[in-house]
Amino acid sequence: MVSNSTFLLAVLIMALAAYATRIAGAVLMSRVRTTRSTNLFLEGLSASVIAALVASLLAQSDLKDAMAVFVAIVVMLATRSVIWAILAGMACTALISGLN
Amino acid sequence: MRLTLHGTLLGMRRLIPVSLFIIPFGTAFGIAAVEAGLSPLQATLASALVFTATAQFAALEFLSEPVAFISLALVVLALSSRHIVMSAALSTWVNRLPKSKRFLVLAVLSDANFADALPDLQNGQDDLGRLLGGGVMLWTTWVASTAVGAWGGDVLGDTDAFGFSVVMVCFFAATVAGQVRSNTKLLVPVLVAMGIAVLTLPILPTGWNIILAALVGGTISVWCHGE
Repeated sequence: MVSNSTFLLAVLIMALAAYATRIAGAVLMSRVRTTRSTNLFLEGLSASVIAALVASLLAQSDLKDAMAVFVAIVVMLATRSVIWAILAGMACTALISGLN
Repeated sequence: MRLTLHGTLLGMRRLIPVSLFIIPFGTAFGIAAVEAGLSPLQATLASALVFTATAQFAALEFLSEPVAFISLALVVLALSSRHIVMSAALSTWVNRLPKSKRFLVLAVLSDANFADALPDLQNGQDDLGRLLGGGVMLWTTWVASTAVGAWGGDVLGDTDAFGFSVVMVCFFAATVAGQVRSNTKLLVPVLVAMGIAVLTLPILPTGWNIILAALVGGTISVWCHGE
């Protein structure tokens, strides 16, 4: 339990910190001259950050989630539709839960 | 680059299905915040201003007198730091907007609208409304569901929503699969990044394993295809 003024200060600090991370990358890149290398770096970076998030979440999860993600990837590669991929992943989870 | 109302509305519509799946997390945060001693209004305000699930949950640990403000700031920076990477990745397009619009669009940058907007931007889409609209949709859902949890937590009872929804993971995984399919050069960086994220998970503080993995993925991408 904290006083109202302490809370407001805390939440403002949190808001500033969170906003700083959201603009920092773009501000930083506006000061760097873009070359072929920086473009390749950003391309690899953008795919890797989401992939790393998936891997990290799956590592803390169970086999059921991993199977759903596997199915979603296969359906995505086959149909190129994110919506179908998600629905297939959900169906997979529902099926496994139903079997147990 | 443009930032149109039409694109913004399209972005909002596109992220409605994904937004539904953040409702359990927002509700859970509202309940947890009230249990930690915040008023429902304070809990909702935190979601509206901070808009970062992991950082908000972690911050609850710090909200007791005397508040360690510096630690609080560092925790939020650390848990929100993958936004730095996403913001850098978007800089190619975002930095072509006037500054005021740039800082508006980035204010609602989040995992899901990043994943939604990025492939289209890479394919030559020139409207950042997609990113803004998606973010507004996620933000609205996040704040509204926090309010529901904060004011209605007693009625809702125990919501077991702390495991990351499989739907979100499938959404992210499908997005990466689509990116790799249209640009197979990304396969090696992506696989290495996934390996590093998992291997360093037990060693690095929460969130930093993802930053490290993304930086290595970016470096490999340069190393494999640079001159």
